[in-house]
Amino acid sequence: MPAAPVPVGSPDVDTHTTIEPDRPWLTIVWNDPVNLMSYVAHVFRSYFGYSEEKATTLMLQVHHEGRSVVSSGSREKMEIDVQAMHSYGLWATLAQDGDPL
Amino acid sequence: MRAFRRRRGVYVAQLEGDEATILARVVADTSALLGVPLRPGEEAAEASDPLAHLSWSTEGLESPTDPALARLLPDASRTDDELSQEFRRLTEPELRAAKVARLRMVWDALRESTGQVRVPADRALDFAAALTDVRLVIAERLGIRTEEDAEQVQDRVARRDVHQGPDEDEVHLALGMVYSALSWLQESLMQVMLPTMED
Repeated sequence: MPAAPVPVGSPDVDTHTTIEPDRPWLTIVWNDPVNLMSYVAHVFRSYFGYSEEKATTLMLQVHHEGRSVVSSGSREKMEIDVQAMHSYGLWATLAQDGDPL
Repeated sequence: MRAFRRRRGVYVAQLEGDEATILARVVADTSALLGVPLRPGEEAAEASDPLAHLSWSTEGLESPTDPALARLLPDASRTDDELSQEFRRLTEPELRAAKVARLRMVWDALRESTGQVRVPADRALDFAAALTDVRLVIAERLGIRTEEDAEQVQDRVARRDVHQGPDEDEVHLALGMVYSALSWLQESLMQVMLPTMED
């Protein structure tokens, strides 16, 4: 098996001194026994514009791990995303990164 | 009932008259649960105010006590009640209206169906979303909480298993059959929609 590719020319980020007061907000979708896998993947593709591969990966993560972070960004944007997920009948919640989900 | 097929930009499924009547009924029940009874001849624009049936509180809107309604209008946080209330206050009226509009579209399509139900391709995801809401409500009424629960319902429907036959079991089985039919119909719609998605 080939080794994971090493990013070329990635900037030297010092993760220790960075204090991030504006932690991003997250949209989390939770698993439920009703929503069809085909439908959930379709909603991720249609609403977020994700590729088939990414939508399927997220859908399978919801299915197997019980939840998946499907988008992140400003609180206002995540509120819109959560409302959209609710409109599609998906069980979605909002949380700030690092806080309990 | 026959699966959705694609015909010149429209998805068409075959439904018997009584199948369409039963499905229209559970679609209307779901809209009523959201506070807006569907009535024949009522245009969406003049439909009842979705807020008319709500009791307002100055503190913001509380989570619905009916678990089926709570599933349609879930809390936006599992840990932060204040966030959930604020989110509900801001989004719930719009969310209810969006769900009712989709349910009305499906209801109209079912009531207009003469042996077949027709879904324009550009409304197919809205159609599927409405079927999802109906299935969420029925699943809650059937006590489906886990994947195993869902499989048991499917098994009982497949075996037409009414146990000893008390009324309650018959109702449960009938509801299970509706749930099973809706799931199958939605899956068939998803399969016919798939080739239209492009990366």
